[in-house]
Amino acid sequence: MGFGRYVTARVLWAGVVSLVITTITFLLLSAAPNPDVQQAATQAALQGGNPAEATERVRELRGLDQPLYVRYFDFIRGVYTLDWGWSESRSQPVLEAVGSALYYTAQYSIPWTILTIILGPLVGVYSAANMYSWKDHAATGFAFFGYAIPNFFFGIILLLVFGVWLQFIPVTYNTDVAVFSVENAVQLTIPVFVLVTGSIGAVMRVSRNESAEFQNADFMKTAKAKGVSPLRAYAYHVMRPTLVPLSTTLVGQLLALFLGSSLLVEVVFAIPGLGRLTYKALIAQDTNLVLGTTLFFTFVAVVGNLLEDIVFTVLDPRISYDDR
Amino acid sequence: MTSDDQPLLEVEDLTTTFSTDDGTLTAVDGIDFDVETGETVCIVGESGSGKTVATESITKIIKTPPGHIEGTVRYKGRDLLSLPESELRQIRGNEIAHIFQNPQEAMNHCYTVGWQITEALQIHRDVSDEEARAKAVDLMDRVGIANASSRFDDYPHEFSGGQKQRVMIAMALVGDPDLLIADEPTTALDVTVQAQILRLLDDLQDEFDMGVLFVTHDLGVVAEIADRIVVMYAGKVMERGDVLDIFDRPAHPYTQQLLECLPEFGGTGGGIPGTLPDPHDPPDGCRFAPRCEYAEEACRTGEQPEEVEVAPDQQVSCVHYGPGGNPSIVRSEGHGPGDGATGGDSEVGPADD
Amino acid sequence: MATKKSEEFDQVDWNEISRSGRFDLSINSIGMLVTTLPLVLLAVYDWQFLGERTPTFQFVGVDRGLESVDFFFIFTLLLAFWFLVLPLYQNPRMTRYYWKEFKQNRPAVVSLVWLGVVFVGGIVGPIVMDPPQQELLIAYQPPVFTSVVDTTPATCVGEVMNGRCYGTWEHPLGTTNAGKDVFTMIVYGMTISMQIAFITTTIVATIGISFGTLSAYAGGWVDEIMMRFVDIILSFPTFLMFLLILYIYGGGLGMFIVVFSLFAWGGTARYVRSKSLSISEEEFIKSSRISGASTYHVIRGHVVPNVASSIITQLTLLIPGFLLFEAQLAFLGIGDSTVPSWGQLISAGRSDLSFAPWIVLAPGIVLFLTILAFNFLGDALLDALNPEAEAENT
Repeated sequence: MGFGRYVTARVLWAGVVSLVITTITFLLLSAAPNPDVQQAATQAALQGGNPAEATERVRELRGLDQPLYVRYFDFIRGVYTLDWGWSESRSQPVLEAVGSALYYTAQYSIPWTILTIILGPLVGVYSAANMYSWKDHAATGFAFFGYAIPNFFFGIILLLVFGVWLQFIPVTYNTDVAVFSVENAVQLTIPVFVLVTGSIGAVMRVSRNESAEFQNADFMKTAKAKGVSPLRAYAYHVMRPTLVPLSTTLVGQLLALFLGSSLLVEVVFAIPGLGRLTYKALIAQDTNLVLGTTLFFTFVAVVGNLLEDIVFTVLDPRISYDDR
Repeated sequence: MTSDDQPLLEVEDLTTTFSTDDGTLTAVDGIDFDVETGETVCIVGESGSGKTVATESITKIIKTPPGHIEGTVRYKGRDLLSLPESELRQIRGNEIAHIFQNPQEAMNHCYTVGWQITEALQIHRDVSDEEARAKAVDLMDRVGIANASSRFDDYPHEFSGGQKQRVMIAMALVGDPDLLIADEPTTALDVTVQAQILRLLDDLQDEFDMGVLFVTHDLGVVAEIADRIVVMYAGKVMERGDVLDIFDRPAHPYTQQLLECLPEFGGTGGGIPGTLPDPHDPPDGCRFAPRCEYAEEACRTGEQPEEVEVAPDQQVSCVHYGPGGNPSIVRSEGHGPGDGATGGDSEVGPADD
Repeated sequence: MATKKSEEFDQVDWNEISRSGRFDLSINSIGMLVTTLPLVLLAVYDWQFLGERTPTFQFVGVDRGLESVDFFFIFTLLLAFWFLVLPLYQNPRMTRYYWKEFKQNRPAVVSLVWLGVVFVGGIVGPIVMDPPQQELLIAYQPPVFTSVVDTTPATCVGEVMNGRCYGTWEHPLGTTNAGKDVFTMIVYGMTISMQIAFITTTIVATIGISFGTLSAYAGGWVDEIMMRFVDIILSFPTFLMFLLILYIYGGGLGMFIVVFSLFAWGGTARYVRSKSLSISEEEFIKSSRISGASTYHVIRGHVVPNVASSIITQLTLLIPGFLLFEAQLAFLGIGDSTVPSWGQLISAGRSDLSFAPWIVLAPGIVLFLTILAFNFLGDALLDALNPEAEAENT
């Protein structure tokens, strides 16, 4: 069937994209002066040794005396066999560090994603059904607010108001509480709220504008003539076609925020997730960990784009799988 | 009142207005007609004469507001317009079904045709998925879709225009309606397909013993399918009667001119000169007076003339047939084959699109 | 109905622009050339004859230096003037029409005024105002009309009443922990924001339009490969890649602008390509080709005017993303900490948030309003310039 082939082609293409990005990463790294090599040379010079010799030793140790293509294949093999090296700053394998951080990232990402997917289209369609009413204007205002306010700034302000002044939420994130506990829910409320506010705006706008078109479509008259109730008509006949263009916005928005703002939100709320791990690796000059986390986010981006394409094609029956 | 002599559908003084930014627009202005079980009534008129609004007012599928419907619509003795929305929904798609002009737009492109055909069943009847599917496949088969059981799961875009309209017909018939309202169901199709669909509707009407209310601007279609005709112009009824009577002896100047447009009647197909009046501000007297070649002073004052019986079961709303009028003014010049001069050879009627 | 009308209007006006374009092309281009020449000379002089630390304008006795980013900024300003503002003046009928459409959208008009303030502030501010000075003695002054406990600031510039220090007009938005005036810092931040806005959009527009038209006119497998390349560009996690680049190489505002604009033109290229393809099908291009017009002429005369409105809209909606990324990087403190941007100020004030919230609030609100204004503006342009494209671009 066409679908299987389509998905295979898309997955292969995603593989190509990830390879291109990994290659670029490798080129960036190899073109840069290696901090370890320089450090060794400096140290040797300070201790009265021969900097050139020390440099050579370190290069040999790290395999840098190999030709570029050998190092490239080693690098690629390492990346794809999940051999991501050792994190100096955390004294554990990079993959392990990424895994444990992912646990915390997932705790706010999952509710954030679910809330965006459910609330965004609902509010948007409701807005369209009540177009130009005060409710619609309020929703539009909220959409623009959420879209425009920098997440990290919004987070800081909410933390100040609810954490410092009102003391409703703890100022520092507590990793000791159970995942499904009231405490955890409370401390994750504000970060999730901030992220939902950021991602829902565009989703609301698109679903409002698209469903406004569909609610006046001829097929809505057909549905009414069949005896379909308004609620069912909106749920099935408006929502479903709206989901087609919306799927792109939805995945795109969530991805954009996940790859950018969530890092900041983790730093602001001190959540020990992937974003904060990346940040700390940058500060600690832990090359392997920096590489590991950025590669991880890159793969999330590639998979996200893949999903976006597949979801769009699956949702719109008019697109044949051979066309794309 | 016994249920036997009562028509299936009885429309009285139906008036539909729309509130717009430019004031109130009267699309349908106090029309009456009825449909018996097993017969086909055609509402004929130019585009914009209020035919569609009239049919969509019957089960209130036009949007209210901005629309506003008045009058009485009795279906099997029940006044539909005073029914609560929830009871009306039980009638729509179940007892009274609709077919629309543009099958392309009238189907939701995101659902399979099977899903859309069975939707009405799922709402109105307590049927299992298998039963619904079996019924839909059977109907698709009957409306002439080959390989119905495999095409059940296809999407609308995988069907041609004519097939889509067949699907729309199956969609309408799935609830075993007693009244089928078909709003220009063949206009968007090409001529050969048009004929097939008309024949299909005719066959199905006999089979299902339905009353059919058929809306069209095409008198050629009327000739093929209608038992009785209601001629509408600018929201008013101009003439009504048996299809043969009206085709033989059209009484109203408007009907005459409509017929003259038909090539079969020697017309040039040029259309009627002039345009429909502004529905925000209709003219006094007969609505057709501004475009009527026989219009006199009496035609331009007061209300639309009362309907007068000019032949058994043929009524016309024209001053010339009324008290003090002289029918020969209209009839003497006569309508007949070859007399196409009044149609205007050079003027292309912009109203008939 | 309204849609149809404006569409026709659009058609007429763009024709007019391309017709008058041939006549006025020289005026705009000559103006551009004449004004760019001294800028280039100045840049060469600055680069070749002056030391790293010598201010550019020392030869006239002004102690003010220009960075390479500044030169590019001035260049883009000149571009915007000769090819965006002047054409609007040259086509008063079109300008009046668009203004009429545009001014119905009140939030957009307010946004335009706000962006005007930021623009003028960003250009004039650094010329008339001295850079913020570090003065530890007057740290933590509250903004005007507000007061703090008088133990917060080292010394209170304004009045002290009932143990509270009141803000003064001397520091309308207060001062930072280093005693720098917040208002001055915000004005200096406007320059940074405007530089980001103008330079990135120029680069994105240049690459996007060239790539898109090239791809459309090349066709075949070249087109296929070019569009696949756009696919990759579009799925690139730019923010994280930039973190990696910063980590490996370091880099300031210039690097930020280059990297982010190099990865942001994908959408523009895709749009220009599809539009060029549809336009090239249209009769007027065929006819202008038959009459011997060069490809360049077709692109310059037909494709660009036809896609201009949509591209301007797209770019307007790209800018807030750039501003946000810059602020985020500055906030993380891993960018160039000498760039006096709003994000930098937010970052600087974060540790003092609980007792001196104005240091974070003032630049944060300004950043929020600017991003909001660009979004409103883009939305209004979408409606005013091409109503039918609304669904595509959101």
